[in-house]
Amino acid sequence: MKYIPVIGLEIHAEMLTRSKVFCSCANEFGGDRNDRVCPRCSGMPGTLPVVNHDAVTLAAKAGIALGCTVNNYSAFDRKNYFYPDLPKAYQITQFEFPICTNGLVHVLDRDIRINRIHIEEDAGKLVHDDYEGISMADYNRCGVPLIEIVTEPDFRTVEEVQVFVEEIALRLKYAGVCDAKLEQGSLRVDVNISIMPFDSQEFGTRAEIKNLNSIKSIGRAIEYEIERQSELLDKGQKVVQETRRFNDNHGNTKALRSKEEAHDYRYFPEPDIPPVYITDEEISDIRALMPEMPQQRYMRYTNDYKLPADDAKLIIADKAFSDFYDSAVSVYPKFREISNLMLGEVNRNLNDTGKTIGDVPFSPEDIAETIKMTDDGKISKNAAKTIVKIMFESGGTPEKIAKDNDLIMQDNSDELEGIVEGVLSENEETVAAYKNGNEKLFGFFMGQVMAAAGKGTNPKLIKDILTKKLSNNQ
Amino acid sequence: MSLKDLREKLDSHDLSVQELTESYLKKIKKKDKTLNSYITICEEEAKKDAKAAQEIIDKGQSKALTGIPLSIKDNICTKGIKTTCASKMLDDFVPFYDATVMEKLNSENAVILGKTNMDEFAMGASSCTSYFGRVKNPYNTDCVPGGSSGGAAASVAAGLCAAALGSDTGGSIRQPASFCGVTGLKPTYGTISRYGLIAFASSLDQIGILANSAEDTGYILNEIYGYDLNDRTTSKKAAGNYLSKIGNSLKGLRIGIPKEFFSDEIADEVKQSVMAAAEYFRSCKAELVDSSMPSLPYAVSAYYLISSAEAASNLARFDGIKYGHRSDTGDTYNELISNSRREGFGDEVKRRILLGNYALSSGYYDAYYKNASRIRKKISDEYAQIFAGCDIILTPTAPTTAYKAGYQENDPVKMYLADICTVTVNIAGLPAISTTCGYDSNNMPIGMSLIGKAFDEATIISAADAFEKDFAKKEAVI
Repeated sequence: MKYIPVIGLEIHAEMLTRSKVFCSCANEFGGDRNDRVCPRCSGMPGTLPVVNHDAVTLAAKAGIALGCTVNNYSAFDRKNYFYPDLPKAYQITQFEFPICTNGLVHVLDRDIRINRIHIEEDAGKLVHDDYEGISMADYNRCGVPLIEIVTEPDFRTVEEVQVFVEEIALRLKYAGVCDAKLEQGSLRVDVNISIMPFDSQEFGTRAEIKNLNSIKSIGRAIEYEIERQSELLDKGQKVVQETRRFNDNHGNTKALRSKEEAHDYRYFPEPDIPPVYITDEEISDIRALMPEMPQQRYMRYTNDYKLPADDAKLIIADKAFSDFYDSAVSVYPKFREISNLMLGEVNRNLNDTGKTIGDVPFSPEDIAETIKMTDDGKISKNAAKTIVKIMFESGGTPEKIAKDNDLIMQDNSDELEGIVEGVLSENEETVAAYKNGNEKLFGFFMGQVMAAAGKGTNPKLIKDILTKKLSNNQ
Repeated sequence: MSLKDLREKLDSHDLSVQELTESYLKKIKKKDKTLNSYITICEEEAKKDAKAAQEIIDKGQSKALTGIPLSIKDNICTKGIKTTCASKMLDDFVPFYDATVMEKLNSENAVILGKTNMDEFAMGASSCTSYFGRVKNPYNTDCVPGGSSGGAAASVAAGLCAAALGSDTGGSIRQPASFCGVTGLKPTYGTISRYGLIAFASSLDQIGILANSAEDTGYILNEIYGYDLNDRTTSKKAAGNYLSKIGNSLKGLRIGIPKEFFSDEIADEVKQSVMAAAEYFRSCKAELVDSSMPSLPYAVSAYYLISSAEAASNLARFDGIKYGHRSDTGDTYNELISNSRREGFGDEVKRRILLGNYALSSGYYDAYYKNASRIRKKISDEYAQIFAGCDIILTPTAPTTAYKAGYQENDPVKMYLADICTVTVNIAGLPAISTTCGYDSNNMPIGMSLIGKAFDEATIISAADAFEKDFAKKEAVI
């Protein structure tokens, strides 16, 4: 490749607080237009913002999750611009003193530095009615708490960006900061990208790409930009510093506004909100309350539970799935067996039904019970799969499903003992040979007993009785 | 009559709230056509308030302000009552919530007579920039009443209310109090909740009281101060008991007199009158202390940069989209917003928005806003230094007495410089009270200011009260 891309990210994440960041309106998704609006978040004259303490805590958690320093002092600023979806005509954000700085996230073979994480409020939405020729403002989203995560321009490949975004999304979910849904916009990624000649140290002029709502479109947009910028440089033209919008249908980017057209945001300290002070003690309290992060869970699965690395990654990739697994193994600690059933039969049924683990009609305890029944010899491994399938369809406990569907293996030990004794007395020479050390003959006895006992007999039971009788006779 | 005496009269049934309210409404009808101190007169509401207040008094459940008729500056949000900021922009704006101070007044069943006139968005010192016409000075109707709380000051001076709530960003209570011969108290920043005060400059704005006496200002402050969950810039240090020092001897009180406040820019008559007041305090065995504020010459510039920057941002929400004036023309958002603002704001407001945005714009921020912030810090430090050697500070309230309308409104810089005596108090967030200390050769009132340490309103109220009790006040002519 003739050029190296230089990429940095700005990621906005909606935080999972109960109320908005500067008022007590509910922080929810959906609902009727303007049904979560009050004098504060609609910018009525005379109203004042009051910082939601939970938003500060969650932002600090995000910082800890991304290896940042949580600052003892942070402060809010105003970012001024006019737009009908911004009722105060300024956004309250943190400009000079962000809550978190200097993070580090390792992806693939690269260290990605996090420049900063700051708290800010979201704007509303405009709804355009082309038929009536009018635009309406919906302020439900006004004041929804966001963090903005700003990385250094440390990425050099598309894959690094994609893995990083997935990693950030995962960590924010585990930390309980954000549900991180790119498609719904609860996680929004802006890409800053420039290219420079292979042997250069000096970064080129960058373009900022907006409107990327999937990992795939992030990849496509970056690839398109690398090509576009390369063509410009090849022709001896210059890349213009501008904001561009990615069009998912056409797979290309279009200029939104150039640097000259960019707003002068006229930042200055927000006089209505006193600075935020967090003591070292409070920071360590928050740290202590941090839930287990994906990296830590990976270590637990691979070191303590001895799961294969790939299996561990697969489980962790979906927090709800992983939580479900943890609940199941907490009831019945057969780590590998439960992992196999979940990654196998449970996953297959999830894919077939289009469900997520959050809306299956059975509990982690039911999965644990299914494995336990297999171990106890009550059902066969195949029956366990059948039980999972039926639980997906209609719920119910594994025991009841097994009974109703004739999946319970017979416990006919007394009868079996007789059969075993019969087989052994009929084959005295073979028994002697076995006892002389020809252990392969065990299989012969198994086969004989199975044949005599008939189908539906638990092989484990036969094995146990045979082992007992063969050693007793000594 | 003091509010305390009025309270006794109402509680002893010597006077009914209805009679009292009617008499004020009658006076307003008679005099306010000339004065123009009210934008909205709440006749019906006031009568209703009066009836409710009387019932409470009859049950023997009255509180300090029950049935006391007050006027409210028209930048304080009153639920269901038009709140205009004296601007075309908010000509028809009716808030659907009450400011915290209004909740406090309502919880005591005070009677609200109306909303007082002011400079548009509290920007001005003459009450001539109002969309609803200029306010006249009750001592001489050719003269301005000062501003921006000119309507509030005039309403008190002319007896059109028992007391008034105003707001003070750079002198907007004290200077009109001085011009209209009444007492004006600007409390320490963070003493009274700003929730519901339509912001001019958030870090400087403070609601305060205009009344007939220092004692009356403290009487009202006792009822409306306090930490507010809705305004996190309010302070738990605001202590209450603002009348606790009244009647204390002034013996040993150290009064700082910073020489820069008595420069050539201050009219001789004003200087003489304030120095005579100093002599009065000395005669009461107070101690006069020479002091100095070297940064005073930079104060007005710093004040106008900071206040205009904040104002530019605070007033950006008036875009015609949600409430307020919306232009009939404009095909795009940008056109609609700029046409609405062009039509809705007056010249002075536009001037400050331009100044503020310029001071904040990239490339100029360090030179203007940042430097102004440095001066702000310097002035606060200098106050701390002065207060190391004294208990209160005495200065003139304004360089001159009330001037004729039209005299200097067309010279903004001259207008701005006239704020020299008051702005440092807002810059440092301190409390100050202005009271009348004399009259000039035209019988116009002269005001002096007593500045206190943060949250020590009680001391300046008691010193002003002592002075007032020995001072012969002249009544307004109207």
